[in-house]
Amino acid sequence: MTSSVTASPAAAIRRIRIQVNGQEHECEVRPNRLLVDFLRYDLGLTGTKEGCGVGVCGLCTVLLDGQMVASCLTLAVFADGGEVTTIEGLAVGAELHPVQDCFIEYGGFQCGICTPGQIMAAKALLDDNPTPTEEEIKEWMMGNLCRCTGYYKIVESVQRAAGRLRGAGAGDGATARQGPAGARAGRLAAR
Amino acid sequence: MENAPRIQKEHRMTMTGAHVIGSPVPRVEGPLKVRGEARYSADITLPGMLWAKFLRSPYPHARVLSVDVSRARALRGVKAVLTGADIPPRLYGRRLRDMPFLARDRVRFIGERVAAVAAEDPDVAEEALGLIEVEHEELPAVFDPEAAMQPGAPILHEALATYEGLPAPPPDIPNVHSLARWSMGDLAQGFREAHRVFEHSFRTPFVHQGYLEPHAGVVEVDGSGRLQVWATNKTPFVLRKHLSESLDLPEEMITVQPIYLGADFGGKGSVMDLPLCYYLVQRTGRPVKAVMSYVEELTAANPRHASVITLRTGVTRDGRFCARHARAIFNSGAYGAMKPTPFVNLGGAAAGGGVYRIPHLQIDAYSVYTNGVPCGHMRAPGEPQMIFAVESQTDMIAAELGVDPLEFRLRNGLAEGDPLVTGHRLTHVRLRQTLEAAGRAIGWGTPKPGPCIGRGLAAGERHVGIGQGSAEVALELNGLVRVLTGVPDTGTGAPTVLRQIVAEVLALPLGQVEVAMGSTDQLPPDSGAGGSRVTHVVGRAAWQAATTMRRRVLERAAQELTLPAEKLDLRDGWIVADGTRRLSLDEVTKRHGPLQVVETYVADHYAALTSFSVQAAEVEVDPESGQVHLRRLVTAHDVGRVLNPQTHQGQIEGGAIQGLGYALMENLVIEEGRVAASHLGEYKLPTIKDIPPLETVLLEEPGGPVPFEGKAIGEHSISTVAPAVANAVFDAVGVRITDLPITAEKIHQALRARPAPTR
Repeated sequence: MTSSVTASPAAAIRRIRIQVNGQEHECEVRPNRLLVDFLRYDLGLTGTKEGCGVGVCGLCTVLLDGQMVASCLTLAVFADGGEVTTIEGLAVGAELHPVQDCFIEYGGFQCGICTPGQIMAAKALLDDNPTPTEEEIKEWMMGNLCRCTGYYKIVESVQRAAGRLRGAGAGDGATARQGPAGARAGRLAAR
Repeated sequence: MENAPRIQKEHRMTMTGAHVIGSPVPRVEGPLKVRGEARYSADITLPGMLWAKFLRSPYPHARVLSVDVSRARALRGVKAVLTGADIPPRLYGRRLRDMPFLARDRVRFIGERVAAVAAEDPDVAEEALGLIEVEHEELPAVFDPEAAMQPGAPILHEALATYEGLPAPPPDIPNVHSLARWSMGDLAQGFREAHRVFEHSFRTPFVHQGYLEPHAGVVEVDGSGRLQVWATNKTPFVLRKHLSESLDLPEEMITVQPIYLGADFGGKGSVMDLPLCYYLVQRTGRPVKAVMSYVEELTAANPRHASVITLRTGVTRDGRFCARHARAIFNSGAYGAMKPTPFVNLGGAAAGGGVYRIPHLQIDAYSVYTNGVPCGHMRAPGEPQMIFAVESQTDMIAAELGVDPLEFRLRNGLAEGDPLVTGHRLTHVRLRQTLEAAGRAIGWGTPKPGPCIGRGLAAGERHVGIGQGSAEVALELNGLVRVLTGVPDTGTGAPTVLRQIVAEVLALPLGQVEVAMGSTDQLPPDSGAGGSRVTHVVGRAAWQAATTMRRRVLERAAQELTLPAEKLDLRDGWIVADGTRRLSLDEVTKRHGPLQVVETYVADHYAALTSFSVQAAEVEVDPESGQVHLRRLVTAHDVGRVLNPQTHQGQIEGGAIQGLGYALMENLVIEEGRVAASHLGEYKLPTIKDIPPLETVLLEEPGGPVPFEGKAIGEHSISTVAPAVANAVFDAVGVRITDLPITAEKIHQALRARPAPTR
């Protein structure tokens, strides 16, 4: 029998400061701790999902200092001193972000597992380019796989959100806001 | 939007008085999903929870001589390590019980579990796996199903005859564990009537379902000794039964908790890692969680069967099908355990006659063991394989006969009252209309916009699913109605549609109807999600429960108002008589207490009606590289009433793009038993850039068994894309691809192998 092996030498523990959805966190992490695991398991923010683990499916997409990153390929220590926005940080209280609203209204998801990543990617796109063409949307969103929708309704959701964010879509309309999560607001009935 | 999916409706149905049925109601669980608050199995964390990881076989076929776990057990943070010798020697299968949870003395595929570790941390568990030493002795392996059927081939399961769940003694052919046969007429007679006989073979690859949420599960024994389970499983009641049988626990001691599924597409119906988690819980006294990596998903879950399909088809002098012998060989991999059908085969093979009248027809489907990953169900199991073959051959024969493919289909198509090989005599047959609608939409017969552009189409039909559904409808004290369903949300929109059904029956605003998923303790058994079943059987259960609720509410109100119940009606949450509001729902409950109705609905045989689907593709082929550009796709469906146009269309679009993946890119390449495309960078799924302009044609007509006369749609757009594309490629450049996927390399080689076409 061999001696006990230590998987995570205490000496290697690093202290990081990181702002997540506007909240400051000071944590001790191992240097190999992935940002996705840090968010999900150290902070309990399970809205960020993990799919492929190799940075190609887009489920784990978050914003780091405003830039879209695959949190399954990003070390938590790399985010030290940075600002992270996850899906949990998008709505303001009961008020959903227009991208969130539009994904609901235009059927931009089914099972929902890729949705947090899709929405974060779409937000990053619209922050960067408020008037994307259809081709630009597709080019940007190519790294976010969806197996349920066939993507048509994702394209439409992003286009509608762009319109709403520009405030141009009077016809597109500001909608009745959702109540707390899970509440069935009048909008569902109105449609 | 250039790509804006155009949706065209013919014979649009109107329903008098409908207030929510037929509306594109957004998803009831939408706010949870867009906020990241919907909980999936991998999101569950319990106090004191351990992480499980599994050591997997690196050999496709080997004897396991010894497993030394002493170093792994000694690793700090490791709480338990199990080998096959540590757990009861039980075999598992959704029907055929042929698979051990941990290999005992033999491994039969690369990826088979050999040891299980539970540790404080997933990294520690992973590290422990590396410390386990296994001594193997390699055995001859077989990978090709046809080779596996030859005399002298390595036998994977010598004890097959003793396995529980074996449907019938299989024929005495090596490694065949099931032969499913469908037939009608007299095959010999049919071929005697044939003027010409055509025989072609087709091959289809393994593909993964591609749900993006890997399998995950959390198992705990709670304070009362009950097993609590959160799992990526679409059939919670069946899961409870299988866990009960596998673990020797009474069903009453197991609760499968409701949880969202990150999609299914047929792949999430097994117990997967849950029994091993349970054994680790037993050892450690702590909750255990297992989450598969996507590499494990691709290499060791349960992909769609690869197939070799041979069609021998006889045609009369006037160009009508008179006989067909269809022979499908499904490569099942190392176990048959992942197939749930009673005959341990793929029901979609029954589509071997296509949508045609073939008086003398026999279909033989063999399910064969090889040393590969065990295969299971994927959306319309067996059908994408068989329909690729059937609809490719339909065009090949039409070309030989010099007949237009659409005209050839119309000539041979099923008509009212024709039998299917499964014994159903069809009613409401609208194949002709569906074919013609798809043809019109793709511009069949009109000039093509350029050289190397071709059009192809393919047709299929699929039933409305059957099974058992249950639902509870409760009227709460506050006048809200709550619908409880035992069917998990796999993403199809089922909770939203159930809500609409109940709101419609009770004439309530949607905002007054809530839907929740219940645990297996809360409802009678339900067959679960799958098989184009849910809106039918669960919808029926909810419809019945709401109808009973309506009657009871009116009876109580009648007492209250001293009016006959027949004089009363429900409208917008009010009891009305003679057009005036008399009582609100909460007034009824406040005086008479809350009400609760539970209903079960069982459909045990298919309706005599089906749904026809025709998809048409227009492609452009680069004559140099062979690259296929899908210029347009038409998806035409003969549907019943559409209960929710948004979710209905979502099923069509998602299925069509999965069909596109099958046609053009998806291929779980397995070389010498090893999955070569072992991560999502290698295994290509369609991306948002791959989608073609799509036109949908819906031919709505009442008559379906779903509440409000709907039919099914979940599996109807997947199977006909690949043959439509293959037929379009042939039309474009004269190259016939008979093995999927249709890659540039294959077309390039075929183009180089023969003189350039003269079109």
